[in-house]
Amino acid sequence: MVGAPSSASTPDGKPAPNGTSPADGAAAASEPPASPRSITPTTVKDLRDAVSTVGAVLIRGTGTATTWGAPVRDARTTVSLAGMDRVLDHRPADMTVHVQGGIRLDVLQAELAEHGQWLPYDPARSEATIGGLLATGDAGPRRLAYGSLRELVIGATMVFPDGAIAKSGGHVIKNVAGYDLAKLCHGSLGTLGVVAELVLRVHPLPATSRTVMVRDVDTASAQRLTWALTRSAIEPSAVEWCEPEQVLAVRFDGTADGAAARAAAARSMLTGSLAELDAGEAHSFWESHAARVVAEPGDTVMRAATRPGIDPGLVGALSAWADRAGVKALLTCSPATGAYTVRVTGSDAKAHAELVKNWRASVEAVGGFVMLRRRRPGVDAMVESWGRAPGSVEVMRRVKGNFDPENRFAPGRFAPWF
Amino acid sequence: MELQAATDRRRALEAVLRDVIAECGPSLRVLSGQAERRAYETDALTAHRVLPGLVLLPADRSQVAPIVRACLRHGVPYVARGAGTGLSGGALPAESGVVIALAKLNRILDVDPDRLVAIVEPGATNLSISAVAGEFGLYYAPDPSSQVVCTIGGNVAENSGGAHCLKYGFTSHHVLAVETVLPDGTVAVLGSDDIEAPCYDAPGYDLRGVFVGAEGTCGVATRIAVRLLRKPEAVRTLVADFPDVPSACETVSAVIAAGIVPAAIEMMDNLAIRACEDAVHAGYDREAAASLIIELDGHGEECAELFDQVSALCSEHACTRLRIAADEAERAAIWAGRKAAFAAMGRLSPEFLLQDGVVPRTRLAEALAGIADLSAAAGLRVANVFHAGDGNLHPLVLYREADGQGPAAEKLAADIAELCVALGGSLSGEHGIGVDKACSMPKMFSPADLTAMDRLRAAFDPSGLCNPGKVFPTPALCGEARAGAYQPHPLEETGKIQRW
Repeated sequence: MVGAPSSASTPDGKPAPNGTSPADGAAAASEPPASPRSITPTTVKDLRDAVSTVGAVLIRGTGTATTWGAPVRDARTTVSLAGMDRVLDHRPADMTVHVQGGIRLDVLQAELAEHGQWLPYDPARSEATIGGLLATGDAGPRRLAYGSLRELVIGATMVFPDGAIAKSGGHVIKNVAGYDLAKLCHGSLGTLGVVAELVLRVHPLPATSRTVMVRDVDTASAQRLTWALTRSAIEPSAVEWCEPEQVLAVRFDGTADGAAARAAAARSMLTGSLAELDAGEAHSFWESHAARVVAEPGDTVMRAATRPGIDPGLVGALSAWADRAGVKALLTCSPATGAYTVRVTGSDAKAHAELVKNWRASVEAVGGFVMLRRRRPGVDAMVESWGRAPGSVEVMRRVKGNFDPENRFAPGRFAPWF
Repeated sequence: MELQAATDRRRALEAVLRDVIAECGPSLRVLSGQAERRAYETDALTAHRVLPGLVLLPADRSQVAPIVRACLRHGVPYVARGAGTGLSGGALPAESGVVIALAKLNRILDVDPDRLVAIVEPGATNLSISAVAGEFGLYYAPDPSSQVVCTIGGNVAENSGGAHCLKYGFTSHHVLAVETVLPDGTVAVLGSDDIEAPCYDAPGYDLRGVFVGAEGTCGVATRIAVRLLRKPEAVRTLVADFPDVPSACETVSAVIAAGIVPAAIEMMDNLAIRACEDAVHAGYDREAAASLIIELDGHGEECAELFDQVSALCSEHACTRLRIAADEAERAAIWAGRKAAFAAMGRLSPEFLLQDGVVPRTRLAEALAGIADLSAAAGLRVANVFHAGDGNLHPLVLYREADGQGPAAEKLAADIAELCVALGGSLSGEHGIGVDKACSMPKMFSPADLTAMDRLRAAFDPSGLCNPGKVFPTPALCGEARAGAYQPHPLEETGKIQRW
């Protein structure tokens, strides 16, 4: 069996370096620096040196998800991936791309588009880094057809808290050799390691995308129309429903004729106030849809997951609790995958916390969960960012303990679980 | 000393047996006789054999946790087993260990035609899920060649693929949640928390993603929630023959470069084509240097449009004959020919070894040239049948044990696997590492990589009793001479399963 390395040494057996950086050359001292510092490494080795420091470390991409999960306590060092933002190797004919973890998704998409390719992945935060998107486990409406980032990552290079640089996977799309460390980091929110590099499977850019919109769709109709779509063979790439607007948007990607034929099939199958959006309308609809999910400072944003479907009880409970608390709750739902994002505005922290507490109880009662992505200042003192711990939490604790025994990476992020 | 250790092991097994009988009652089937246990000494990698100390067949999934706890209490290693069709020795028992055979836990518990989810027991066969889901126009996408008999629990352990995973992805992409007896004896659902209401999202680390493909080293699955897909409206299939291997490889690249993702692209070289045609008469051209089977599926008009493009690309790349399946019967015949390749190899050689390496798709021609060179240098023939779309090779090293060619064949097979790694690929595309390729892992992964993976394993299984000796290179395994000569699995001899 492979022996566990000493936590004080690097993979090549050299003593672990203390953290040094252009930003703070004095950090090698054993005394902690008086104020938090930021390091921006440009290579994996620099990154390794940056995390092999003392005290708590916060990993940062473009900073779009620093509020996701519970707040990190006492981060002494922020390691920014802004200097690791390059495409290392794009192989268009292999449909793979090797990138550094700090590359922004929109930058990567622009690069791929020049070759008629894309990453079929549309989280609301297109300016986020690819490493950050893996660590946050984020997904957008098109997950229905293409899966999440976990399905698109084929290789990863991680830097762990002890300075170990470890790879899993590789450059081939089919590969079962060894454990999948990239999946381990999916949703880890910076608590296990830094995503230094990723290899991704890319897809051909579809020739066309079409969007069919149905208006005045109440909860029951949204459920019925969604099941009509999942029972058909017309393969929508996204189905989204918004409340209180009560619109259902259905997206199709494909060849020009193919997407048109499927959109036409949807129009004949669905009922209600139907319209196909033109390209400009569709673009602005999906832009505003993403903005609504991201929300703004001062809002509270809950992300919930349940089994696929729109649970009328949950939607009803949300508006009832929101009314009682005197807040406004904007719901965005991916009914075919059971994802809900709720943006809460208005009133005060106490009202936000009350809504989170009450609606979380409703969601947990049907086997789902609610986490906080953002909260109005003061909410943290009144409600936890995470709800009921999953049955596998003990394994997560042991994983955390084995990779980060000193609890240095984003301590507190999964409080109260670990 | 050794005698004492053997006595201790026997006592530990007796203690496990006593505990599980007390806790599970008479419905737990126990196989303790040597002849009964003999049937579980190997999986489809038949060159490796270890007689287990005890075989337990739970009649109900609630019996699995007491078995794991008893093994933990008495320090006895264990391995879960489905149909035993694995090709890397992943279900090889530990010496004096327990085999937990899950064949009786084979129910399809629920199919939800709206949510497109099925909840199944681990011993359900891959094809039985699609059979039940088929009543609703649905199917389970990953299609390993042994799908008639292989179990979903084994597919989860190995992250199984199949010919159609080019478009639809692997087991990992189709599993939403796994109810697991963890090696600490507790039961937890990985993925969403309620196995009966599985969610796409789960909070925290993606433990489901780690478990799928961990080769049974992270616990024993007792219920699995899988995604189902709607059957495609249209399926179109063709066979294209080429005058040389590079032309076929270039065609594969051209199809991909045109922005088309076929459901499957399979390739056979001349040696494989001849063997298949002689055996099955599927209508292949015995003179073709290489043939591609390309299948597209999807919405009717879109599928037809792309299929025409693929046909044109084949013609542009020196294709000598294009055969388009006219109906479902012809399509089935084409696939039957492809899947008969294993049985057909017996016509070419009394023995062969099978490899499972992967190379980046653009290096296929280079890999095949390299294999031809290695083959010539070793003086042994190699037939190639493989999943060209995703670069997953299945070279068959043909040899005669009677002529003393065994060691040379084993070396050639290992050299081919390592050639794949040198070309930027992987040791295994779908068969797993198991015991078969554990010793080659350092060719692909650094000590730091393996240490990180072992830390993860230890988080699931601090005691190290859950399917030990797999995936990771160990001195005990890798210090010994390689024992890799192929012997057919009984199910292969009866034609129930194929090897790739």
